[in-house]
Parts: sequence; C-alpha cells; structure tokens
Amino acid sequence: MDHSKFNVLGKATQRKDSVAKVTGSERYSIDIQLPRMIYGRILSSPYAHARIKGVDVQDAEAMGAVCITFDDIPHVRYNERIITIPSVLHKDHFILADKVRRMAEAVAAVAAETEALAEKAVRAIKVEYEPLPVLIDPFQAMQSGAEPIYDTILWGEEEIQVENNIACSRQVEEGDVDQAFAEADVIVEGTFKTPKIYHAQMEPKSVVCRPESDGGLTIWPTTQSIHNVRILLGEIFNIPLSKVNVKRVPIGGTFGSSIQMNSVIPICAALALKARRPVKLTLTREEDMHDHTRYGTWIALKLAAKKDGTLLGAKMELVADIGAHNIQPYSFLGVCVGWLVSLYKLPNVRYRGTAVYTNKAPSCAMQGFGNPQVTFAAETLMDELAEKLGTDSLELRLKNYIGLGDTFWGQGPLVRSIVQSDGVPELLRQGAEIIDWENRPKPGSQSGRFRRGVGLARGFHTSSAGAPQPGDVIDFSGAMVKVNQDGSVDVITALMDHGGGTLDALAKIAAEALCVPLEKVNLAPAETRSTVYDCVTHATRGVYAGGGAVLKAAEGVRQELLETAAHYLNVMPDALTLKLDKQQSQGVVYAPSIPEKRMTISEIATRCWTESWKTIATVESYRPVNCPPAYVTVFVEVEVDTWTGEVRTKRAAMGSDCGTVINPDMAVGQLEGGLSKGMGYALCECNQWEPDGQIASRGYWVDAKTPAIGETPYVQDIHSYFADSYEPSGPFGAKGIGEAATNPVAAAYANAVYNAINIRFYELPITPEVILKAVEEKGQSK
Amino acid sequence: MPEFDLLMPQTLPEALEMLGDRAPDLTPLAGGTNVIVYMREDRHRYKMLMDLTRLNELHGVRREDGHLVLGSATTIAELLTDPLIAEHGALLRQAAAVFASPLVRNRATVGGNLVDASPAADTAPPLLVMNAEVELASQKGVRRVPMDEFMVGVNETLRQPEELLVSIRWPLPATRSAGGFSKIGLRKGAVCSVVSAAVMVEKDEDGLCQSARIALGAVATRPIRAYAAEEILVGQPLKPQIIDLAGQLSAETVKPIDDIRGSADYRRRMVEVLVRRLLSRAAQEIVPRE
Ligand SMILES: Cc1cc2nc3c(=O)[nH]c(=O)nc-3n(C[C@H](O)[C@H](O)[C@H](O)COP(=O)(O)OP(=O)(O)OC[C@H]3O[C@@H](n4cnc5c(N)ncnc54)[C@H](O)[C@@H]3O)c2cc1C
Repeated sequence: MDHSKFNVLGKATQRKDSVAKVTGSERYSIDIQLPRMIYGRILSSPYAHARIKGVDVQDAEAMGAVCITFDDIPHVRYNERIITIPSVLHKDHFILADKVRRMAEAVAAVAAETEALAEKAVRAIKVEYEPLPVLIDPFQAMQSGAEPIYDTILWGEEEIQVENNIACSRQVEEGDVDQAFAEADVIVEGTFKTPKIYHAQMEPKSVVCRPESDGGLTIWPTTQSIHNVRILLGEIFNIPLSKVNVKRVPIGGTFGSSIQMNSVIPICAALALKARRPVKLTLTREEDMHDHTRYGTWIALKLAAKKDGTLLGAKMELVADIGAHNIQPYSFLGVCVGWLVSLYKLPNVRYRGTAVYTNKAPSCAMQGFGNPQVTFAAETLMDELAEKLGTDSLELRLKNYIGLGDTFWGQGPLVRSIVQSDGVPELLRQGAEIIDWENRPKPGSQSGRFRRGVGLARGFHTSSAGAPQPGDVIDFSGAMVKVNQDGSVDVITALMDHGGGTLDALAKIAAEALCVPLEKVNLAPAETRSTVYDCVTHATRGVYAGGGAVLKAAEGVRQELLETAAHYLNVMPDALTLKLDKQQSQGVVYAPSIPEKRMTISEIATRCWTESWKTIATVESYRPVNCPPAYVTVFVEVEVDTWTGEVRTKRAAMGSDCGTVINPDMAVGQLEGGLSKGMGYALCECNQWEPDGQIASRGYWVDAKTPAIGETPYVQDIHSYFADSYEPSGPFGAKGIGEAATNPVAAAYANAVYNAINIRFYELPITPEVILKAVEEKGQSK
Repeated sequence: MPEFDLLMPQTLPEALEMLGDRAPDLTPLAGGTNVIVYMREDRHRYKMLMDLTRLNELHGVRREDGHLVLGSATTIAELLTDPLIAEHGALLRQAAAVFASPLVRNRATVGGNLVDASPAADTAPPLLVMNAEVELASQKGVRRVPMDEFMVGVNETLRQPEELLVSIRWPLPATRSAGGFSKIGLRKGAVCSVVSAAVMVEKDEDGLCQSARIALGAVATRPIRAYAAEEILVGQPLKPQIIDLAGQLSAETVKPIDDIRGSADYRRRMVEVLVRRLLSRAAQEIVPRE
C-alpha cells in the first residue's frame, strides 16, 4: 500500500506511553495507592469440588480484619462477560463461591491494614468443607451419574437445569451435508486435541476500589472493558451506573485474560463497601494460574472434496472443556464453526458443539477465541488432503479460501458480511518465495539426527464482530474528539490498549483526519462517567472499530472546523479544505481558489474561545456493519532433533493483510508476538491437572511450561511482510491484526514437523517427549 | 506467608552456638529460594530462621593445598564471574549458566542447593564428577563428607540439624582432563532439570582414558554416579563405540520417575543422549600429546 499520501499513518512513530513504560513511571492497577487504603486477600479453596458447610471468621475479625463470606454478598448470579445480549446470557457465578467448583476458588475474603495482617487473617478463617468427587475430564463429566457441578444456572432470567454437566450446546447445519459426502472423491478426517493453557500475561489481576460518600464506587481495575465492569457492578450491587465510575488503567498484557470482569473486582468492591475504605486486591501468580485458561478442545473434523480439489463440505464435532464457570462458551461454540466455514468455502456443513463443565480453571477467551484450535485441525487436514490429491497444498488453499466477494461469518452464524479486501494470494506467493517453498523437503526423505521441515498454514481473524443486524453479540464503539484552545486535540475513548499500541493507532487516525501533527493529539485518560460506551477490546477490533469511532468523531470535528472557519473567513464552507502545513506544523483551513483566505486550526480554536463562542467537539457512537477478515499466512522452517525431540525454529515468514498498516513497527511486533505465542502453544504449553483438581505446576512459573526468551525465535529469523491491501469499510483502509497473527501458527508448526519427520500430530503440544516417542515407534531413530 | 522469628548471627561461632541451642527448631536461611517457596506453599512450617548472609566465613573462593575451596554461601551468580571458578571449576560454571534465571541466581547459593538436596540440584553433578567434599561444622567440630555420600535421598542429607555447611572443596582438575555439564529442561531459561549430566575424563599420555566420572541428576532419589559406565571407559581410547556403550550403561543405571516435567522413559533416553554428547565433546577437548 502506498502510504505517501498519508501524513502519519504507515510511519513508525514513538508511542505515547513509551517513556512512562521504559522509565517505570507508568502506573498499573497494582501501583495505585490511595489515602486510607487497606489490603485485601482471598481465601482460596484447597479443594476443587466441595460443599461449604461453614465459614468461621471470628479469629480473623478479632485481628481487626474486615471479612466477607457468602452471607455478606448480594446473592446475584451473573456472567463475568457480558458481550452476549442479556436475554440469552448464561449466569452461574456469585462473587464468592456458594459451592467450590475449582481449586483456589475464593470462598471468603478479608481486608486489613497491611498485606501481612490480611494474610494472617485469611489464614485464621476456618472453613468446613465437604469434598465432592472431582471431575477433570469433560467426557467423564458428561457421563450419566457423574457428580453434578451445578444443579441449575440462569439463562437470561430463567432458571434452567444443567444436565450431565453440559453448560450449553449448539448445532449448525447448512446445505446438504450427506449429499456432499456422498459425492466426494476424497474424505480426510482427524480428531484433534488442544490443551487448556494459561495466558501468562505479565500483570497478575489486580484492582483498587474506593467507596464514595454518595454510596457509589470508584474502581481502578485490570480490565479490557471499563464499561462492562461498570454495568456488572451496578447490576450486582444495585447501584445506579451514574455512581459507579471505572477508570482506565494501563494493562500489563492480557491475551484475553481480562476480557471478562475479573473475579477479584466484585470481591474487592464488596470488601470496600463493607469496610467503608478503599481496598486493593491483587491475585498472587498461583491464584492467577487457577483463575483462567484458554478453552481446551476435542475436535473431530471431516472434510469432503472432489478430485480436482474443490471442497464440498465438512462435519465437525467439538467438545470444549470450559472449566468451572461459564464465561460465554455459547458464543465460543458459535464462532468455532464460524472460523471453519470462513477459512474455506464449505457450503455444506454439519456442526455440533458441546461445552462441558469440569472442576478446573474457567476457560475464557485467549488470542483467537477458538480460532487457533479450529485452524490447527483444518490446516492439518488441508495438508493431508493436498497430499492425498497429489497437489501442492498452497494451490489447494488458494483454490478454496474465502476471499474477495465471498460471504463469511467468522463470528458465528448471525454475524455475516462480505469480504471486500483480500491479500491472500499475495501473502501466499510472497511467503513461498521467502521460505523457498518449492524446494522444501519431501516428507520421509530425510534420515540422521537433525531433520529440516517447512510448514505452511493460513488463517484469519475477524476485525470486530460487526454485522448489518444487531445479532446476539454486542459490538459497538464510541469516541469523543475535541479541539483545545491552542489547536491541540484530545481523543477521549473508553477503548483499552493491551500493550500493542491500539491507542496510538487511534491518535494517528485522529491526527490524519484533522491534519494535525501527532504530538498535538492527546490520548485523554478515560473513565466510564465521562466516556461513551465501547464494548471491549477483543475480537481484533481495536483499530477497526475503536479507530472507526474516532474517525467518525474526527470527521464531525473536521466539518465543524470548516464551517467555523467559513464563518470567520466569509467563504462558503464547501469552498474550504483542510491540510497539514508542514512548515507551520499545523493544520490549516483554506480556500484553494483564494489562498489568502486561510486560518490555522489553532487560530480557529483560539477565536472560538476568546470570542466566547464554543468548543469544537464531537461525540459519536460507531457500529461496524462488517467484520472484515484480517488474514495471516505463516511459513515456518524447523529443525527437529531426533535424539532429543527438540524442535528449533530456523526461519519464519509471517505475512499479514491488515489493510492499511497504521503502526508499521508495532504491526511487525504483533506478528512476531503471534509467532512466539503460537510456537509455545504448538510445542510446549500445557496445564496438567492432577486427579484432585490441582494444577501440576501448582502455579509456579518453573513448571508452567510457558516458553521464555530462550525458546523465542530470533527476530532476525522472522521475516514479516504486509499485503498491499485497503479495506473499504475500515478507518483509512485499516482492519485488525492481533489475534490473526497467532491463529495459524500451531498448525504451521505441526505441518513443519510432519514435513521433517513424516509423522502427523493431532494433539498439542508437540513436546520433545511426544516427538521422540513417535520417532521411536516409527522405527526412525538413528 | 506465616510469621517466623529471624536470627541474624554475625560470625560463624555465634551461628553455631545459636544452632547448637535451638536445632532442630532453627533452620538456616541462605538465599531463601527454596525456603521461601516451601513457606508459601505450606510445605514446611519454620519456627525460626537464621540468616547466613553476614557470616564472612561462608563466603569467598580460594586455592588451598591443591584444592579449590568454595564458601557455601557463594551465589550461583558469583560462580559465573569468579576467575578461580572459571579456571578450576568450569563445569560448575556451566551449570551456573543454565541454573534458574538471573534473578534467582543472584540469591541462590551453592550450599542451599546441596542442603536442599533435590534430585535435580544442578550444582551436584559437576561437584560429583570433580570428586568434591563438603565441610560441615558444629560446636563439636568440623567434618568432611564426600559428595557422593552427602545427599542420601529426596531433600535428605547427612547434615545434622546443628551443623552448618561451611564450604565445598575439590582437587584442582588435572591438565589432561576435560568435562562438561548439560541439562534438559522444559524450556531454556528459569527451569529445573528434567535430566542433567556431568562428565569428567582424564587421558593418559597415550591418549587412553585414565579415569572417567559420570554423574546424573533428576533420575533417581538423589544425584548419582554411573559407576558401571565409568568403569568400561578406563584404559580405552575414547571412540564413538565405547562412548555409545557408556551412554547405554548410564541409562541402565538410572531409576527415574514420571512427573510433570517428563516421563521416566524420556528421562532414561535423555541420559543416554547427554552422556554420549558430553563424553564425545570432552574426548575431543583433551589435546593429544605433541
Ligand atoms: C524460580 C526458581 C528456579 C529454580 N531453578 C533451579 C535450577 O535451575 N537448578 C537448581 O538446582 N535449583 C533451582 N531452584 C532451586 C533453588 O534455587 C536452589 O536449590 C538454590 O541453590 C537454593 O539455594 P538458597 O541459598 O536459595 O537456599 P535456601 O532456600 O536459603 O536454603 C535451602 C536449604 O538449604 C539449607 N541451607 C542453606 N544454606 C545452608 C548452610 N550453609 N548450611 C546448612 N544448611 C543450609 C536451608 O536451611 C534450606 O533447608 C530454583 C528455584 C526457584 C524458585
């Protein structure tokens, strides 16, 4: 894409928060200190499944601690995530456990003058538990006679029974699947298993809550959505939203782990309301590792194709291990089939998804929300299909992928749109050249200790969950843009930046739209009471939808600038235009035909102020009516050590079609980060649970199997590139990138390992131990 | 974390007196990278801790009658920078380089590593193959125990509750000797060993193996020597065939377990790979006579 027509877009610029971050002066939730603040701790259950017979807080209270138990909290059931519309939302969660359903679940909580006293007090609480059988395996949990984890939950306002620990299920059927499979020349199939892994975000979840004298609350949380936290707290504690003010605090990484209202937030609010003092509550790393994971899945997938490689249809059965709470698996099940049918043209599809409760950490969104799981299955089978047909898998992908002009519904059956920008052929061809795809090894052609393999997988993520109709997923953004008296600009939005530079992209969009130098655009601190709603930063929507809202507001400001200048200059507004005057380092409004008729933005703003007229400002809501696919292709070259089973990344080509590239260096960072997170998912990460529901690592990094810098592919070995692409529905042609960057990575590694040693793996992670065993079984060692 | 009392002796005699009076209720605390973890997870309740960091007698590295003597409170980070260790304890240095993470290395001590006596303790295999001894002191006196006897089981040593580990010593390696340490973890940094191995070989003037020592970590209830494998090397030229055999014999010696870090089978196979790799490298390193 030719960026020369832009002033700031497409240019590497210094992040506005960079100095604060590198000097350590950025203040995260855990750094917030308030006068009279006290410290909270939760009492974590030592059982994964137990009835609570009694909680005795006498000793803790005698130490001066404020204690809360189930009896002290509002008995309101909620879902921590409220992206699904209320009428079909499943709700199973109380602030503190009514019954323990996972290890380390909060049973009670205390707040005290010091952290040490809080710790002492929490240990002094006596709880009588009645341990129940622990269900670790979703298939066992579904068997009749299995111990019920829930009796009932709420669905909307209706109380429903939970049968066989099934939280929810979903079926989708399109076209004529039976006929498609009957007509097929080739069928490929496999059953794929993916683990429940920990997000491993840098910042453990934290929150500070201050009770206000009017009965309200002010909150400084770790979150991806300040407005959804506010709505939930208002609902649970029955406080008018006008009195609940949630502040946007920089977040120390999330990968989806704070997409829901974090478990500590309402606990802290309840403590603060009872103590009538500000309270800080931070999870320890051990507690955090029990708090959330990616969805673990079992996916049985079948693809049917004609001899010429045309795909005819698919059958998919998916079981999701959702852990102890429902954090919207209903939408998870919906998108999982969406990911499949939006990857390739599959006019005939039969799908059944089942979400099952287990006594494990709750599954929530994690980079891709089901997409890495489904793409692992689909892209493995595409490779197998190509091999069966004797064609190049790259060509097979090109033949069948969903691209320009195709309808697609990545975010589930109700979120349909048409693809308007498509860099896939360019990404595939360019990547093939970089990695020398033509000359990749033939599977089975190598012997000896080290074997080289090249793997390809492609994928996408939707930019937002926007659609022409409302649907059952809430997705819209909002922004305010105002021009200050000196001509500088404030951008005010509730959007969160997870560390990827999303807010900088928004500032650049405003700067571009208003022809203002980037230094003059300020990202205002945000809180719920002075911002309009933004649903949440997820679904790769930050730049596309959040940026769309900023652009819409900036365009309003631009129009008002022209009209205001027209008034002062006595020129028709339509005769005026706005451009950046590089010499003056200022935006100017001028009439091209009468050059002396000109005013800088600062002159306009100053006059509006000194003549007591107005502030030029616009506030807008923005609902995306599309959710364009942000495409990514991954080529990776690995070296497998058949003595130890280790897999080393030699090279990777990461190609992205994110439309207009707004922050080039940060977009590259997203691709490199996506590769390294995906590599961990493919090769090492796995939370193992012991039969009693404890995680085998016990919450320690040492055994958490998250890769570290030593495993991360070298930056100089990663070739990142971008398609020349422009998304007509996006702000200045932009769409998303974040989750797309990781979605195909695990599949690419699995395909590369296959290419090296001629063995297919259907379960992640593909650890050295797993590889070694397979090599041995195949009699390939030595 | 539960509360505890902390004693802070200034000298070794003072520390030994405190320990003599209060053991076993008094637990020494060096870097705390084991002790604090155990406290947090309630694995141990410590009544009293005694901080060792101020005892000068436990610090420093020196040469003494053909031996290198290492204070027990030497940190893993210090092993990476000390010139005497670089010269006479290269294996220990290699182990230090892949020990935990830089943060942990700044606190963790060699003494703590040995007294904690994890089967995966990374300083143990190098010290085993260097024929090290540990020196223990109490009010009653001082005694030396060979490394191979000191650790007796998982978190168990011959140390008596009233004793402190003062130093570790080993003979300066011979000129025609070479060795190495290697570990396999679930990732490269900040991990405990799934398997670790150290070897030390010495060649005679004809280039034949004069002595060989092989030690293995995380494959038994304590770090162990692979005596059977060592024996077959002695008197032989260090050629691939015999090295392969030593690898196989090492793998037969071990009694690993299945756990979160790896299966017994994987560990056994990795023992073979590591021993083979380390022996080949060491054999090449010793320069033949001119
Ligand atoms: C994140 C992490 C990673 C780790 N990675 C590794 C690794 O890669 N390899 C490895 O081997 N270990 C590892 N460990 C374990 C630990 O760091 C080491 O065992 C370390 O050497 C312990 O030393 P310390 O000084 O911290 O011991 P401490 O915790 O202070 O003490 C350990 C034990 O030794 C006793 N003790 C200490 N000094 C003396 C003395 N002079 N006399 C008598 N008793 C004494 C203590 O009473 C206690 O029982 C890791 C630990 C953590 C937390």
